[in-house]
Amino acid sequence: MSTADTPINDRFAAEAVAYRPRPAGAVSAIPATGTKASGATAGAAPTGALTVEPATPTSAVSGTGRPRRRNHHAEGLEAGRRSTRTLLWIILAAAMVLYGFPFLYLLFTSFKAPIDTIAVPPTILPKEWTLENYTNALGRSGVLASFINSAQTAIISTLLSLVLAVPAAYGITRYKTPSGRVFIMAALVTRMVPPVAIGIPLASMMSSAGLADTPIALSIAHTTISLPLSIWLMSSFFEAVPNDLEEAATVDGCSRLGALWRVVIPVVSGGIAVTAIFAFLASWNEFLFALLMTAVRSQTTPVVIANFQTQFGLDWGSMTALAAVYSIPVILLTLLLQRKIVAGMTLGAVKG
Amino acid sequence: MSSRITISRIAALGGLSTAVLLAATACGAGGPAATSGSAASTVNVLVEAGGHAELTGVAEQCTKDTGINVNFVELPYDGMFNRLSSEFSSGNVSFDVAALDSVWLPSFKDAVQPIDELFTDEAKKDIFPALVKEANVDGHFIGMPAWTNSEIILYRKDLFEDAKNKTDFKAKFGYDLAAPTTWKQYQDISEFFTKDGMYGTDVKGGVETEWLAHVLQAGSPMVLDANNNVVIDNAAHKDALDFYTSLVKSAPPGAAQVDWAAAQNLFNQGKTAMTRFWAHAYRQIPKDSPVAGKVGAAPMIGGSAGVAGVPGPWYLSVPKATKNSDAAKKFVKCAYDHNDLGIESSLGLASRISAFEKYQDKPGYESFKPLIETLKGQATATRPATAKWQQIVDTVLVPMLQKAVAGGDSATLLADAKKQIQDLLK
Repeated sequence: MSTADTPINDRFAAEAVAYRPRPAGAVSAIPATGTKASGATAGAAPTGALTVEPATPTSAVSGTGRPRRRNHHAEGLEAGRRSTRTLLWIILAAAMVLYGFPFLYLLFTSFKAPIDTIAVPPTILPKEWTLENYTNALGRSGVLASFINSAQTAIISTLLSLVLAVPAAYGITRYKTPSGRVFIMAALVTRMVPPVAIGIPLASMMSSAGLADTPIALSIAHTTISLPLSIWLMSSFFEAVPNDLEEAATVDGCSRLGALWRVVIPVVSGGIAVTAIFAFLASWNEFLFALLMTAVRSQTTPVVIANFQTQFGLDWGSMTALAAVYSIPVILLTLLLQRKIVAGMTLGAVKG
Repeated sequence: MSSRITISRIAALGGLSTAVLLAATACGAGGPAATSGSAASTVNVLVEAGGHAELTGVAEQCTKDTGINVNFVELPYDGMFNRLSSEFSSGNVSFDVAALDSVWLPSFKDAVQPIDELFTDEAKKDIFPALVKEANVDGHFIGMPAWTNSEIILYRKDLFEDAKNKTDFKAKFGYDLAAPTTWKQYQDISEFFTKDGMYGTDVKGGVETEWLAHVLQAGSPMVLDANNNVVIDNAAHKDALDFYTSLVKSAPPGAAQVDWAAAQNLFNQGKTAMTRFWAHAYRQIPKDSPVAGKVGAAPMIGGSAGVAGVPGPWYLSVPKATKNSDAAKKFVKCAYDHNDLGIESSLGLASRISAFEKYQDKPGYESFKPLIETLKGQATATRPATAKWQQIVDTVLVPMLQKAVAGGDSATLLADAKKQIQDLLK
């Protein structure tokens, strides 16, 4: 409905209309006090902003002078909004450059000739594009095996995190017992311990358990990192699901477990996707535990990438090439689950 | 149900089943399931990533000679000490042989086995004296040198042989332009080539070894004397520090942050005319570098005590906790016997004098004669045998050097350093 069709009976309604952005070509129902003022206003207004045409004064606002002030006020607000939006875009662009540049630099470096990778001063774009670094990096012994180990470890760790975090978070949020509250706080405390402090004891424990140099040992270690976060994330998602849903399912004949499985889990599937991707990424990119706990059979790619830096030099080209290849699966995974992630984040956002 | 959903479910189920199966069997994709002691004919060798290439050829030969298969566990340098500490302290090691940096020997002396039987008189004659001394901790040899290194002088031969440079240099300094042998010559040449956007040399504020080599050249033990007294404030240390900082004016800006990688890059890019650098770098100059084919090598410069360098050896040691001692020792012996095979690797180093001498006259190995001369230098010595050495380097020596190259007073800095080191050693 055009604003022209809107009946305006009082000042407040007029203000409301005046503050509202309009589509291009819309005609304001707010009368102007004179042609001069109208012309000035129209000249300042961009497409889609408030337009004012010379109009016959109406009884509602005629002769008061207030609409003119209101128009200026509205324009001021609109201009303010535009400035804020521009500023936000600039900040956003700066943040994107700040966060994205290192990765772009890594990508460009991976296509540089060896001598260009160590140029002084450094160059951003390769002088000559080459795939030599990719050939070197992927041709290095153990790289393919390390990819398989990374995937295997990350999948097991993600599954472990979800299998443990979903029931834990559900129990904590639904039963709200004092021990549950203590448990969730205790889970958070484990995040406060620096991984290096538990890395060596964990490695010793795994070794004593006969699990040294196995993906399962590393997966368990990675679960210690991702589980607390997973419990917290899942708790916030479960909190957002109204109890009425489960009660309705129970009324329809579901058991508590059935309601969880058939009603709650589908509702929080976005949240589970978010949790899964965080757990997967935590394991996929983890370095310290992998360094301490893997050897011949289970070494993961982050350690192999780090091996390009030796006491005798740094093979920048190969390192960046392997790092670029290693980031592809997580980028694809994120894109694949993008919709679920957004849905999951929204679910968490409306909590409470 | 659509076929797409069916395929997705099958794929997911397949993936999960694979993961669970692999997890249940505790298998990885990295190689054979050979941990310490699992097979007498297989040894796991823990090695820093850069040293892997050094031992690859040796391992192949040892497999042929002895039937021992070798698995390498490659780790980055920065994480290797932690890994070793962790496994040694647990008493459960995943390797049968470890390649140890010389500075770690004192820290791990109780966790590795004596290998005195491998240090025959003949072997001791063929290993650089400083290395024989360093391998002996508390009366036992605990590591066999696998490869060693030292700083030498790398210089731009094309610039040194340029007729105009020769004439101009002689006119300015009164002697012929040639590879420097003394501190004074190094200062003069550095000053001479600092022009037209180029620098005579680099000054590395981010690493300590180079300054320590100058301390040896000035006639003092490095930082600690034979009785573990802190001598960092003596005249030799001050002279060495003053010489070191005197080169800042002939070096690229930002000396406090320059480390090995930066210095190597600067030289390979043709920004510096000379560098004091590890000998292996000579063979690692990229073919497309502007200085490729234009670099000469000379022994490390000498001070009042003569030529001296700080060797950078790595030792093969056998942990006490391995259940595969015999095979491990066989491998260490075999690695010594075929030590020269390391020279054929990309790193191109060895530890036996005879191995270096075998290659010293071959084209492409021009850095070996200067390296041998430096390693045999009377003042050449290894770093102090204290378990706190790395801590001293990281928390005292490097920060002190960074302040010094930024213009700090050398006497004050050395006095402060002495106090800090004494506190660390308490």
